[in-house]
Amino acid sequence: MDAFRPLASSLVRRIVVVTVACAVVAAAVQASLTIRDEREAFDRAIANIAQTNVPLLSVSLWDIEPEAIRRQLAHIAGQPEISYVRLSERTGHRFEAGSAVLRDANARSLDIPYPDGRIGSIGRLEVSANPQTLYRHVAGKVGFLVGGYAALGFALCALIALMLRMEVEQPMRRLARFTAELTPDRLTTPLALERKPRPWRDEIDLVAEGFRKLQDGIQGHVANLDAQVASRTAQLQAALDEIRALTVTDALTGCFNRRHLDARLAEETLRRHRSGYPLAIIVSDIDHFKKVNDTLGHAAGDTVLRGVAEVFKEAMRQRVDWVARYGGEEFVIVLPDTDLARAAAIAERLRVAIERTSFTHAGTEINVTASFGVAECGDGDDAHGLIERADAMLYRAKQSGRNRVVTSDAQTV
Amino acid sequence: MQARIGSVLAAAALAFAAQAAAQTMVFINPGKSDEVYWVTAAHAMESAARDLGVKLEVLYAQRDHMRTIEFARDIAARPAAARPEFVILSNDNATGPEIVRILDAAGVKTFLAFSSIPAEGRGETLGPREKYKGWLGSLEPHAEDAGYMTARALIAQGRKANARAADGRLHLIAIAGDRTTPSSVRRNDGMQKAVAESHDVVVDQVVYAGWARDKAAEQAEWLFARYPEARLVWAGNDLMAFGAMQALEKRGGVPGKDAFFSGVNTSKEAMDALASGRLTALAGGHFITGAWAVVMLYDYAHGRDFRDEGLELDSPMFASFDARSAAVFMARYGENFDSVGFRRYSKALNPKLKRYDFGFAQLLR
Repeated sequence: MDAFRPLASSLVRRIVVVTVACAVVAAAVQASLTIRDEREAFDRAIANIAQTNVPLLSVSLWDIEPEAIRRQLAHIAGQPEISYVRLSERTGHRFEAGSAVLRDANARSLDIPYPDGRIGSIGRLEVSANPQTLYRHVAGKVGFLVGGYAALGFALCALIALMLRMEVEQPMRRLARFTAELTPDRLTTPLALERKPRPWRDEIDLVAEGFRKLQDGIQGHVANLDAQVASRTAQLQAALDEIRALTVTDALTGCFNRRHLDARLAEETLRRHRSGYPLAIIVSDIDHFKKVNDTLGHAAGDTVLRGVAEVFKEAMRQRVDWVARYGGEEFVIVLPDTDLARAAAIAERLRVAIERTSFTHAGTEINVTASFGVAECGDGDDAHGLIERADAMLYRAKQSGRNRVVTSDAQTV
Repeated sequence: MQARIGSVLAAAALAFAAQAAAQTMVFINPGKSDEVYWVTAAHAMESAARDLGVKLEVLYAQRDHMRTIEFARDIAARPAAARPEFVILSNDNATGPEIVRILDAAGVKTFLAFSSIPAEGRGETLGPREKYKGWLGSLEPHAEDAGYMTARALIAQGRKANARAADGRLHLIAIAGDRTTPSSVRRNDGMQKAVAESHDVVVDQVVYAGWARDKAAEQAEWLFARYPEARLVWAGNDLMAFGAMQALEKRGGVPGKDAFFSGVNTSKEAMDALASGRLTALAGGHFITGAWAVVMLYDYAHGRDFRDEGLELDSPMFASFDARSAAVFMARYGENFDSVGFRRYSKALNPKLKRYDFGFAQLLR
């Protein structure tokens, strides 16, 4: 992973580079301009000397006024552009003023004419420029300029660093931290950048807004997902309930099936032994059901089976008694907390109810009867034994002429 | 009889003099207190004052012309009793009008000697006794004479020594005093006049050395280089002539042989140079002007105004010296001028005297 470098640092480095480059270019331009100005100033000084000093020097030389000559030379050399002047008179007299070490090989020479306009010259004035003034001016101007650039560059860097820190770095770092700490369970935590309120928005605000929108979107999506899961779970639950119902009930009659009977009756017998409360069962078989199937068809048989099951369920105590289809046209009715006598009475009531009920199939009224065997669970009975005993009672009822109830002590009702 | 009348008049004059005794005069001397010419002038004035019983005070401005004006202010600031009756001054460097104005306001009478205020360019000052009533008048030597006499003697010597250049003419260089003092200008005029009268003389150049020896020496050095054929050197005073000689000697020349020099002023050094032949021509004697002014003011104080001779007088006070007259002069006046006897020249003391006989030549007779 590359080293971390803050934006402000990169920007400041670039500004420094650009400022230095600008300062160098400007300093070079300024230096050349100053040199040109100084040359012009020197030219002006020379022109000025030619115009004002030369005529005076001409007169002073002619009149032989050494003091006046010295004063004038001192005045000329006193000009900042000029370092050294030398005046050579025709007959060999020489005057000088200024600093002789600064005498310039390229010094300007001015002929001093005779004051009376005679042809020829009475002397020669040699004027050397002052390099120190040039250096001082160049250094002064360039220094000022570089200083200005440095101040400007520093101010810009400071301002940018400050602004970036305030406006970009802090919110960005906060954003980065927020993002790093963002977990699914914290998705709803709102992003707070703690920026001062202002009447405009900037890129950071756009990023924050985009982030909030993304957050909202994810949150909405997650919420939607929950709803979908709940819906699917309900659907699954329904299907499961349906499957479970299918595994314990008989599809045709809605009664419990043989498998459920085996399992649950075993539990009921165990409960009978544990609690001591009585348990009785009734086994019922529709009389001459084969004849119904054969004469009226299987659909009619099914209608009869459903009708009989309906009659049984209606006659029973809710949530306590239950009915299972034991196979074919045979049903088992389990009666917890019921002794034999009472079971026999219930069986009798069911027998009458069947006998009196007409089942309608395809416009044909069908009347059937049923035989019932009743047995109470004894202390040594298991579910299997109990059903066998009740079945034995049913067999007897069939033998005894059908449409009747036979209890385990073999009495016919 | 005549002698008697004379003695009576003399006695009366003496009585008068005693009555109006002790005129007080101040001479504002523009020169330096060690400058021969101006010291000599002051000595002559003091001799005259002594002769006439006048109290004379001499103030040296040491060639600082601003100081002459300061002296005038100081005098004006004195208590009335301490103020002099007359102030004698010279218009050197054109300071005259200002001094006259200051002293007139203080009620001190002024008299211009040596150099007066030139008539041209006088402006508001006007003439004597006009705007400034206290300006009594002036007495000037014939300055032109000094220039003229010396130039003529110089030219004569040049001809005699055949100091002609290749062009057959005598080349003269002139070292003048200054451009403003009237006596300086007039001496130059006299020199130019002598040259104009001579068909064979040409003035190569006139320079101004400010009466100073050193500057004249420096200028002469240049001039000898500039004009190698010039052999006549005319100078406005003796000091400048000596400066020019110095320059010649520096070049290896001998004054009086390789070049001829003239000067003005009767200094001892000048007289000696004249005697030795280094100096060819000398004019002088005008230092006496101040002494004559003392006499005129004495007479004015004693009721003999010089008005009838004119308020602005000039006299041919210059004498041309040669080696012989120089010896006479030195013998007679080398130390002081007490032997002149200034009382002889006073109209107040000599009532018969109608006109002043001021000059210098008579002092040598």
